[in-house]
Amino acid sequence: MSHNKAQIRGAASVDNFNGIEPPMDTVGNIRVNNARIMCNNVFVHYSDKRAIDNLSLDIEAQKVTAFIGPSGCGKSTFLRCLNRMNDTIATCSVTGEILLDNQDIYAPEIDVVPLRARIGMVFQKANPFPKSIFDNVAYGPKIHGLAESKSHLENQVEEALRRAGLWEEVKDRLDQPGTGLSGGQQQRLCIARTIAVSPEIILMDEPCSALDPIATAKIEELIEELSEKYTIVIVTHSMQQAARVSHRTAYFHLGRLIEVGATKELFTSPHHKLTENYITGRFG
Amino acid sequence: MTNTPDNAPKSAILSPQDAEARVRASMATRRNRETRFRMWGIAAIALSMCFLVTLFGTIMSKGIPGFFQYYVTLDVTLDRERLDPAGDLSDQSLFDGDARGLVRDALFSTLQVSGRSNRKAAGKLISLGSDERLRDYVRTHPEQLDSEQSLKFALDDDVDSFLRGFISRDTPESDRRINDKAIGFIDQLQEAGLISYEISDYLFFGSASRNAEMAGIKGAFIGSILTLAVCLSLAFPIGIASALYLEEFAPKNRLTEIIEININNLAAVPSVVFGILGLAIFINIFGLPRSIPLIGGMVLALMTLPTIIISSRAAIRAVPPSIRDGALGIGASKMQTTFHHVLPLALPGMLTGTIIGMAQALGETAPLLMIGMVAFIVDIPGSITDPGTVLPVQIFMWADFAERMFIQKTSSAIMVLLAFLVVMNSFAVWLRKKLERRW
Repeated sequence: MSHNKAQIRGAASVDNFNGIEPPMDTVGNIRVNNARIMCNNVFVHYSDKRAIDNLSLDIEAQKVTAFIGPSGCGKSTFLRCLNRMNDTIATCSVTGEILLDNQDIYAPEIDVVPLRARIGMVFQKANPFPKSIFDNVAYGPKIHGLAESKSHLENQVEEALRRAGLWEEVKDRLDQPGTGLSGGQQQRLCIARTIAVSPEIILMDEPCSALDPIATAKIEELIEELSEKYTIVIVTHSMQQAARVSHRTAYFHLGRLIEVGATKELFTSPHHKLTENYITGRFG
Repeated sequence: MTNTPDNAPKSAILSPQDAEARVRASMATRRNRETRFRMWGIAAIALSMCFLVTLFGTIMSKGIPGFFQYYVTLDVTLDRERLDPAGDLSDQSLFDGDARGLVRDALFSTLQVSGRSNRKAAGKLISLGSDERLRDYVRTHPEQLDSEQSLKFALDDDVDSFLRGFISRDTPESDRRINDKAIGFIDQLQEAGLISYEISDYLFFGSASRNAEMAGIKGAFIGSILTLAVCLSLAFPIGIASALYLEEFAPKNRLTEIIEININNLAAVPSVVFGILGLAIFINIFGLPRSIPLIGGMVLALMTLPTIIISSRAAIRAVPPSIRDGALGIGASKMQTTFHHVLPLALPGMLTGTIIGMAQALGETAPLLMIGMVAFIVDIPGSITDPGTVLPVQIFMWADFAERMFIQKTSSAIMVLLAFLVVMNSFAVWLRKKLERRW
């Protein structure tokens, strides 16, 4: 499903341009002092259709970066480039540099398996495995050989669930299927599953879009806590959410990165007309 | 129209009142159409149920009597000298002995017959397999030698048919397969209460035989099991591996497209063609012996592979991509994603395809005729390299024989085949239910 979605979005076009030309260069400072990921001149194509057009951006370490923009603007596509999830789409091609520790993650010698263990991902639709809650969280440590013993694994699972704020709710029913939890709990289970692999960076693709306001609030709280330990990139449709959880916001439009800046600044005094139109609700 | 003034511009959209009137007017036709469609559906189901009931009725009414046959109880003197001349109970010694004579003597003394022609007529009453039955009895009960025992022997198939009423007394003697003398003896045995109608052990424990009363399905049944075992152990892993590779790993290009089209085409190839292929390759090129379950299984595996591959691919495609994303997103390799997540979720669907394939293979006759599994084989196959036959081929052969009793045995064998299918399918359904998980 998500493959198709990404493809369709990449191919879609927003005709409501309001006669405003997008800038050739991104407005705002694309560079930061302590960058965890540096992207330089990234282009993404689905077959012949351009989904991301010459994008350069730094992702700041131990901060929450939010990607906002109208549907089909390429924010999810770009997010999926950061841990090479786009590899699963045959027609998708990525050019340019995405540097993690000064190493291009698209270099031929890079193996995606350890890369994805370092850069975890949480998806729009909670997708727990059809296994028990314990097995869902333990799966990552198991396949990567992270636990030395059974008790070590149990501790890892407990801690991951604690960090995801789910431990208290599920500690008595770890052997029950993860798919039996509520939507918000499932999404936190997916976050716990990601945390259990000890990633440095967590990518979140609209993690709250299918959740009710209470579950959303819990996830947002969680994101705030997690940002102390992890670098987080979140794609969101909700500008309020971006404003609440992120430190830095990037506004995408038709595959271009229009404007980037500190969240407060971007939402109070956007520099580009397109950004202003979007955040004031004039289109999107 | 009523609400629109004449001079107002006419709107293409009807007024709500007009629209409602039109909708009402069309309702009767719509309802009729729906009723008619329902009637057609009910009629179609009723018709197919009719056919099904007729089919099962015919098979059961013929087949159930086939599970039974007539036996005669005789007091046989187990004379050690005549049965076991060498005295060591070896097969050779028993074979050299006069088991046949002992059974005949017991019959003659019961009927109190004398004279050559009378003895000849009486001797035809019991099955030719009676001497082998007596030898078997002696083998398992050597301690009873030199005593008199009441033993049951099958009656000849003509006598059986007569007792069932298929041969009438009113038919002129010259047109009957059984003469007046024999009928007299049968009446004599019946009056003495020596004839019994019992479950046929020959049917279940006998092998192919030209004598209807001795013919059984054990050989064909074992042959079917061996053939299916070979078929399953080849087709299941190859089919699933192909499906997994094509769906999860293979690049989507011209070549895989051609392979896919060819697999779909293979599913539509008549099964007899696979038999010719097996004959040409396995027997003529590789020089394997004919009539063996190994080749039968290989040919049936070729035949069922497309079915298994197509349904397995459908099952794999039905696994939600979000599960793959979840696994890949935490760094599972392609292989781990496939085997830890995709395969377990697709397995129930794959099993369904395999059941359909196996059911097809179990009922298949044509390709096996091509590789010589239609031969008349009395021995029960002990391994996949022993010559044998299978149930549907056995049914095919029996259906060809003229004797009355074979008609019943054919129906009985069909019932056994159907029961085999039902057992196999319910096992697979149970297995699928057990493996099925929700997500």
